[in-house]
Amino acid sequence: MSSIRKDFLHIGLFGLVYIILALLVDNSYYLLIMTIVPVWAVMGLSWNLFSGYSGLVSFGHAAFFGLGAYLVALCMVVWDLNPWLTIMLATAAGGLSALLVGIPTFRLRGHYFALAMLAYPLALLYIFEWLGYQEVALPMKRETPVLYMQFENPLAYIALALALLLAALGITSLLSHSRFGMSLLAIKLDEDAAEAAGINTLYWKLIAITISGALAGAAGGFYAVVLLVVTPLAVFGMLVSAQALIFAMFGGVGTLWGPVLGAFILVPLSELLYARYAADFPGIQGVIYGVAIIAVILFAPEGILWKVRSILKPGQFRMLGSTASITDLDADESLLAVSQGGSGEKILEVIGVSKAFGGLQATDELSFAVKQGELLGIIGPNGAGKTTLFNLLNGFIKPDKGEITFQGQSLRKKRPNRICAMGIARTFQVAKPFTHLSVLDNVVIGAYVHTRSKEEASRHASAAIKLVGLENQCALPGANLTNKELRLMELARALASLPKLILVDEILAGLDPDAMQEMLVVLEKVRKLGITIVIIEHSMQAMVQLVDRFIVLDHGALLAEGRPEEIVKNPQVIEAYLGKKWLEND
Amino acid sequence: MDSLQFLENILQSLVAGLLMGSMYGLMCVGLTIIFGVMRVINFAQGEFMMLGMYFAYFCFAWFGTYAFFGGLWFPFFLALLAGPAVFLVGVLLHRLLINAVTGRRGNKLEAQGHYAQLVLTLGIALVLQNGGLFLFGSTPVSVANELSYSAWEWGPMVGDRVSVFVNQAQTISGLLALVVVIGFAVLMGKSRLGKSLRASADNPDAAIYMGINVDRAHRLAFGFGVGITAIGGGLLASNAPFQPYIGTEYVIIMYAGVVLGGLGSIRGAFLGGLSIGVLQQVSAIILPNQLQNTVIFICFLIIILFRPQGFFGNKDRTA
Amino acid sequence: MTKPVLLQLNNICAGYGEIDVLHDISISLLEGELISVVGPNGAGKTTLFKTISGIVTPSSGEIHFGEQDLLAVEASRRAHLGLAHVPEGRQVFPSLSILENLEMGAFADRGRAGFKENLEKIITWFPVLGERSGQLAGTLSGGEQQMLAIGRGLAANPDILMLDEPSMGLAPAIVDEIFERLIEIHRTSELSVILVEQRVAEALHFANRAYVLEAGKIILSGKPEELQNDDRIRQAYLGM
Repeated sequence: MSSIRKDFLHIGLFGLVYIILALLVDNSYYLLIMTIVPVWAVMGLSWNLFSGYSGLVSFGHAAFFGLGAYLVALCMVVWDLNPWLTIMLATAAGGLSALLVGIPTFRLRGHYFALAMLAYPLALLYIFEWLGYQEVALPMKRETPVLYMQFENPLAYIALALALLLAALGITSLLSHSRFGMSLLAIKLDEDAAEAAGINTLYWKLIAITISGALAGAAGGFYAVVLLVVTPLAVFGMLVSAQALIFAMFGGVGTLWGPVLGAFILVPLSELLYARYAADFPGIQGVIYGVAIIAVILFAPEGILWKVRSILKPGQFRMLGSTASITDLDADESLLAVSQGGSGEKILEVIGVSKAFGGLQATDELSFAVKQGELLGIIGPNGAGKTTLFNLLNGFIKPDKGEITFQGQSLRKKRPNRICAMGIARTFQVAKPFTHLSVLDNVVIGAYVHTRSKEEASRHASAAIKLVGLENQCALPGANLTNKELRLMELARALASLPKLILVDEILAGLDPDAMQEMLVVLEKVRKLGITIVIIEHSMQAMVQLVDRFIVLDHGALLAEGRPEEIVKNPQVIEAYLGKKWLEND
Repeated sequence: MDSLQFLENILQSLVAGLLMGSMYGLMCVGLTIIFGVMRVINFAQGEFMMLGMYFAYFCFAWFGTYAFFGGLWFPFFLALLAGPAVFLVGVLLHRLLINAVTGRRGNKLEAQGHYAQLVLTLGIALVLQNGGLFLFGSTPVSVANELSYSAWEWGPMVGDRVSVFVNQAQTISGLLALVVVIGFAVLMGKSRLGKSLRASADNPDAAIYMGINVDRAHRLAFGFGVGITAIGGGLLASNAPFQPYIGTEYVIIMYAGVVLGGLGSIRGAFLGGLSIGVLQQVSAIILPNQLQNTVIFICFLIIILFRPQGFFGNKDRTA
Repeated sequence: MTKPVLLQLNNICAGYGEIDVLHDISISLLEGELISVVGPNGAGKTTLFKTISGIVTPSSGEIHFGEQDLLAVEASRRAHLGLAHVPEGRQVFPSLSILENLEMGAFADRGRAGFKENLEKIITWFPVLGERSGQLAGTLSGGEQQMLAIGRGLAANPDILMLDEPSMGLAPAIVDEIFERLIEIHRTSELSVILVEQRVAEALHFANRAYVLEAGKIILSGKPEELQNDDRIRQAYLGM
């Protein structure tokens, strides 16, 4: 059974149990709690869908929630519009406002992003106070109560809240098992690596925040209907954003059921304690949420769902993603082949490129060309500017001066994911595996550049994994690999994007001689596919057997260029490598 | 409103803004020192300010009758005393909680622990403000004395019209804030302790190679940071009433000031806080009261979106 | 008569997370000796230093510093025992002035005690540090930063100076100058030095003994003149 069908079965069962439970309860206060809990669970899911999967912490989900709540309340007060319609509008408004927030705010990362998100709901809070909406009460509609979602029977509210929750769960399940989920996970685990693997990180983040905002807007709209009164502090306040975050983190970040679990434990707990002790201890809810989140951060940083899992299955590494199995072990390596046409023509040209960081000239008027089908080695001592060159070639940084063209097209204005889609893939000096994904999923991420179909992506990934010889490791998490396997996996991820040119950064560093030989065999196979390879290596050992041509860099400039046998005899090169004294001794 | 009246309003707001801004600046310095040394954004900074306010309030209530230093000066003395008191709270919380997700331990977590740090300090903020509600009650209180209701008149400057009235309590608080900032800047700049904190901020690994205990440096930085902000809170306490939730209102003001000045720079944070104070007071001339904070938030968003490195900091200090 | 052993590493395995970078490393440093550890990039040289300094905790093996079990000493206390680490890529404190950097070098008590006299010596070796003592370290050139990093190490008045690739990213003329100065310091002060270098020739030329590290293992060790003629070094670097 596919994982989505399994999720839907669980969601259905959950809904059934909840309804039965509601039928058994006969206390109006408990029934109110049973209405509120799913609303907060939806907020938790909303936060999780964006922050839990993408890793960008939002402290501002109250903005979308509050807009939804005020939209429903004001539409009813001013234009007499019914909530059935306006909750849909609230959903749209939540999504739209989230998109508008996302566009400027995604310029920021880390701390700055979290801080900026905090300001949106608080700014709205004061604006709504100023507008005079300190307290908007929904009018009672005695003639047509059902049209205005005003029911005698509290079960009707519960059913609606539950329906909203089930929808949110369904959406989360569908998305997390798609290319969307994989892309966001990749962004969370390593945004640079994701971008270099061809993932348009901005696009996916915008999609995520839009859907997330829509869910929050819907939850806010429904909240207004249930509570009948909307105040700025109740819907835009810090606590709303905090609750969304706390439920998701408490239950389990980046999981389907975590946010639900969090809300189902914490909301009733805080409500019941509040009902009992509010007179003596007015802030008890906030204290409970605070203590809950402190405890989770200290003792189960990924939430209790993950913690329980690690206790039940000790030793098993925490894995995310779809962890699909290899679908097509017969996937032919020739899937990855590049047509040999135009062999010997220039595929990549670097013309007078300079790049400085502060006072350090990392690349200095560098010019060279790479020919189609060639295996070019770039060498030079530490600090010669080799990795900077790769960062220029794959678009992480832009040159101060000069031009880089790939198959005649300028790379100047291209983002790394576009450059990857054009056919330049890369590996990293310090391997950047997506540690919580299986080897196969790591590679599948690379394969999504050229296809939307999961099957095709996994076929390309399988072929790449076969080529590098990691078939037996493909279900292991990225974090459990040896150094050699990590590097092979990165190579496979690069290959799965069907590149015409691969930039390989110090793939041999730290390998023992046997592993190095294996790696050389794999590189030879890659080259036979017609893929052009540019490889950076600090040491020339092994490389001399492999490459067609060397470029030697020193202090960001071209020191020498030529065939391996010429280069190893070049006195300048020997001096740069072994030192002047070496020449004197010889 | 004629032009002289307008001039008077502007001058009045400017002076009030500078005095308030000096206190904001002090609080910003507290926030920025924590970020500068630990690379942690403390969400609960506003709550430590609140603790400083209540420290001053309760001490005043308990010992007020003894009136050391003359009754008028006593609240200001208590504000300064709030620093060491909250310093101890900060050191304790760092040891018990924050230390678990910062520094070298934090590096092992996702995103160097930024995620965990933000959320942990959010939890501390929730506990402090809601626990404060329990311990201190929700009725707004203040540490006002007659200085809070008296003003010095500067002027008249133009003919007999343009006079600026400066609140005496505000003036003393603002000047004290400036003195504390200068004192702290000297401590950071000249003392061996200050240098070791800056070294830990620049490069924690290299600081360890020098024999500096970076965990301890972090603990002290956290204590200094919250202590300094608490002094700011204590000084504000003689100006206006407050309640346990006041931290949230001010935390954005502090972020805005710190981001304006460039995260991690002491001078920048103070100038940033000063600017925010002036902006807040001057905007009050043309805008309704409720929108004063919105102006600050929008300013904050504009700065963070378009110039996240700030305006006053030196470049190598920003992350 | 053989000199006493100052630092002894026995069968050290160490790395990051699950993966070991160093395998079964044993190294000894005698008092007053200068030893070199050479090897290509990625061989584990920096990890070796970080293990001695306590930033990396080994998964097995032991380290003795004189009579002390070094692994039982917390990382920041190791400097107080007389271990000075001049890290790879210099890592001076950019927002501190030259003088402040040197003061931080003397943070441990043993450095603070004779700081004034020590500072004078450091300035005679690296005059530029005296001439511009107020300048922020972040604004220095690479070569000057390297001199400052070494000066900062010396300010600790250490028993052992650990130098991690002092030549990295520097122009040849400056490298020569720095090496010359290092040898002078080593000879005049009888300081024990561990030098990690990728420039084999220089590293061997100056050393009393040397180790060759490849892929986390020691593949060769001995007197420089023996190693100099060993083809395996040339092979490790040039491949032929």
